[in-house]
Amino acid sequence: MIVNAELFVNDLPGQLIGSLEPISLVDGNILGVVHNRDKIIDHRICVNVTFEVSERQLEHLKMLWKARDIVISSLGSVHETFSMNYILIGDVNAQYIEGLLKMVNEATTLDEINVSYSSKSMKTASHTSLISVKARYEDNLDKIDAILRKECRNANVTYIRGV
Amino acid sequence: MKIFICGFGTVGQGVAETILNKKEFFEERYGENVLVVGATDSTTYALDENGLDLKKLLATKKTTSNVGNDEYTDVVKVLASSDFDVLIEVTPTDIDTGGVGLGNIEYALGHGKDVITVNKGPLALKYKELMDLAKSNRCMFRFEGSVGGAMPIINLCNSDLAGQRIKSIRGIFNGTCNYILSKMDSGQPFEQALKEAKQQGYAEADPTYDIEGYDSACKVVILANSVFGRNVTFDDVDITGITSINADAVALAKSSGMVIRLIGEVSATKLEVAPRLIPKGHPLSLAGTLNTAEIITELAGPITVSGSGAGRLETASAIMSDLVAIMDRRLGE
Repeated sequence: MIVNAELFVNDLPGQLIGSLEPISLVDGNILGVVHNRDKIIDHRICVNVTFEVSERQLEHLKMLWKARDIVISSLGSVHETFSMNYILIGDVNAQYIEGLLKMVNEATTLDEINVSYSSKSMKTASHTSLISVKARYEDNLDKIDAILRKECRNANVTYIRGV
Repeated sequence: MKIFICGFGTVGQGVAETILNKKEFFEERYGENVLVVGATDSTTYALDENGLDLKKLLATKKTTSNVGNDEYTDVVKVLASSDFDVLIEVTPTDIDTGGVGLGNIEYALGHGKDVITVNKGPLALKYKELMDLAKSNRCMFRFEGSVGGAMPIINLCNSDLAGQRIKSIRGIFNGTCNYILSKMDSGQPFEQALKEAKQQGYAEADPTYDIEGYDSACKVVILANSVFGRNVTFDDVDITGITSINADAVALAKSSGMVIRLIGEVSATKLEVAPRLIPKGHPLSLAGTLNTAEIITELAGPITVSGSGAGRLETASAIMSDLVAIMDRRLGE
């Protein structure tokens, strides 16, 4: 995961390095550092650091910072998401799509789902719909693909996925 | 080097014309010329152990629709009566049985002759058997033009990219489908786009082989076997054609900045031909009749190639590259 942290370190030589070292100790990868000398609170200087780290190591990292008398002002994560689009052609009304998405939601966690229908097909028996999803992990897309592929084959629906 | 050409249709004539035009190249590179000692079409044959007059042969085919004056009933008997080094097998593809091409290739490899083919049927049905036959008789068996016509892909993967793992290949392997889908991008209905493809000569009178994805599936099988070392046949491919793609689907894709293309995909585990949603600007969003392939490699990352998937001289260019590779090996550069 990608993490953005705002830290406050004592205004003493070596403190900036001291705040970054724990990230390396937990096998993190530093992506950017801003030493904000204009922002001083209680004789402490603000350091903004963005880094990549395993989610499991985050608690350990917090402990390391605290042990070095580094104040964690904020800690936020930025998640990478994986997008995929699917078009379904056939007898795929809103109810059918809802059922499919229910199955998908039970099998995996999605950050975002959008469904749109072609305006013409809303009135006819044959429908065409576009499903756009965003998932936290790439293997979630494989799970979705397996579910949609199987269900569409069983329902004789043409299934088109992205690349 | 003595050549026998089986199949004297569009591609066979292109090969004869290319050999004729490249006479100086062969003489300069090998110090000898390429002699075409035999040629067959679907009913007739022509033989000359001293080399056929290719200009005359092409003219005869043009004026009489036959390559020779003598008719045959068993093409293998014609092959057996000729002394040649390399068979260029370019008879029509038959994906149900392998057709006459399968028998021709089996005969040639079984008798120690090198073979070049663009015939997808035998490769999609009997790849392993034919490769084993070639190996046991120490023959070279090459088929660059069977996938993507002039677009280099098999030799590119096996020679130029040798030493690194090819993770996957996905591409547009059928110009007819791509032409139809490109026309649909601009709002033309499927039936009209297909009709226009027929009028332009891109689609056959019976387009089933193209639009149901069977042609692309043959190419995916050839890539799976030759590049990924798999042992698969046509029946192993998960195939979806483009006949159910409607204007609504194309419009929905367009509204999200995408186009629909028939994509063949092959990897160590995948073997599929299906319509896919491609973002505009992606190498696989190519419009028109060109073929294109995206090769994902272990070290070099993605490599994209494209070129004419069919055509007389375009396919002959792939056959030429195979012929040169064989002659380099047999005669030395």
